[in-house]
Amino acid sequence: MKPSLANTKSETAAMKLVALELRLTRKPGSLLSQVEVALADQGRPLRWAITAVSGEELQIEAVVVQESP
Amino acid sequence: MTAPLPTLLVIPTGIGCSIGGYAGDGLPVARLLAAASSCVITHPNVMNGAALYWSDSRIHYVEGSGLDRFAAGRLALRPVRSQRIGLLFDAGIEPELQRRHLQVADGCRATLGLDIGPVVSTEVALDVSLEQGPSGASWGRLGQPEALLRAGERLKKAGATAIAVVSRFPEDPESESLAAYRSGGGVDVLAGAEAVISHLLCEQLGIPCAHAPALSPLPLNPELDPRAAGEELGTTFLPCVLVGLSRAPDLLAWPSSGNAATPELLRPDDVGAVVAPAGALGGSAVLSCAERGVPVIAVENPCVLQVSAAALGLEVLPATNYTDAAGLVMALREGVAPRSLIRPLSILAPNQEA
Repeated sequence: MKPSLANTKSETAAMKLVALELRLTRKPGSLLSQVEVALADQGRPLRWAITAVSGEELQIEAVVVQESP
Repeated sequence: MTAPLPTLLVIPTGIGCSIGGYAGDGLPVARLLAAASSCVITHPNVMNGAALYWSDSRIHYVEGSGLDRFAAGRLALRPVRSQRIGLLFDAGIEPELQRRHLQVADGCRATLGLDIGPVVSTEVALDVSLEQGPSGASWGRLGQPEALLRAGERLKKAGATAIAVVSRFPEDPESESLAAYRSGGGVDVLAGAEAVISHLLCEQLGIPCAHAPALSPLPLNPELDPRAAGEELGTTFLPCVLVGLSRAPDLLAWPSSGNAATPELLRPDDVGAVVAPAGALGGSAVLSCAERGVPVIAVENPCVLQVSAAALGLEVLPATNYTDAAGLVMALREGVAPRSLIRPLSILAPNQEA
């Protein structure tokens, strides 16, 4: 998942695995919920981690599942 | 005898952890923590040493996504005597390489007494790709996820209660990253894709799953780092996966009134500690535990990430190494307050709420 590949995807399947890099500004409250909500906008999170933190800004790397209706 | 203290051991895969970032070299840590706690729940990256493995009834082998859901309180674990392991092959594996894997499975049946079969192959090659994120962590995807899931469903319908998946991985014997890994540096570039494959299968099927990459043998390297050596003893990475899955606990949806009274069940609320690298605390299992009030033991174990307790605002018990962490687990198990073991010991104030 190189930066230039963010949101790359396989083209052949109705189900796609999409690599993401997200940046999220943290707010008070459950950190886990904030990450899960941010990822859910992109698809079903398959694997993710907070990979860097700078003050209140989080960098998240993830692979999510996107399914065609 | 003091009751066990179920302890989660997390060493995330593909981030170059000094301990646990290679060929199952987190396994001695799992054994140590099993002695300290009498109950460790950990994931394949910790236990998988390719041709090397360890079986211990106190160590529960749970695929990473299952471990995350257990930590989040959405799964319970039911220990079993044995699993019937289905073998799932990527159609992209060459016939001779597939035969090598089948012979490993036969060897595990004949020599270790494991229950292996049925065997299926995907209809099309899975098309695995390897990637690295901006942090340096390894990731990856597969181009045919539905083919993987269809093959997994076939195995489950045929009676498999756990699945070992073997997929053909791209290889570049001359790559700098491979050379670094074999000399004890950098990250395991295969690991991220392996985790994605096993997460997808485990989440979809709800049974224990683990992955072994199919690769051609590498030329001899006299300078091979001992931590990577487990992967160069044989022609496959499969033995550890089969042994791990053979006694992997069943994954049960939780909470469930139907299973609540089962005495041997490991419940999320039973977890008494989570042990994780101090610079890799930003994963689902650790955050779930921290938010549920489970003590987090943060161990110095250098990796490519620097997502620390201070950065995330987490309260943790720091440990300088895994022997230190084992001591903290024993303290928690015995009901000794870890703070009482540290000097200076602060004086209580009349109105001190924290």
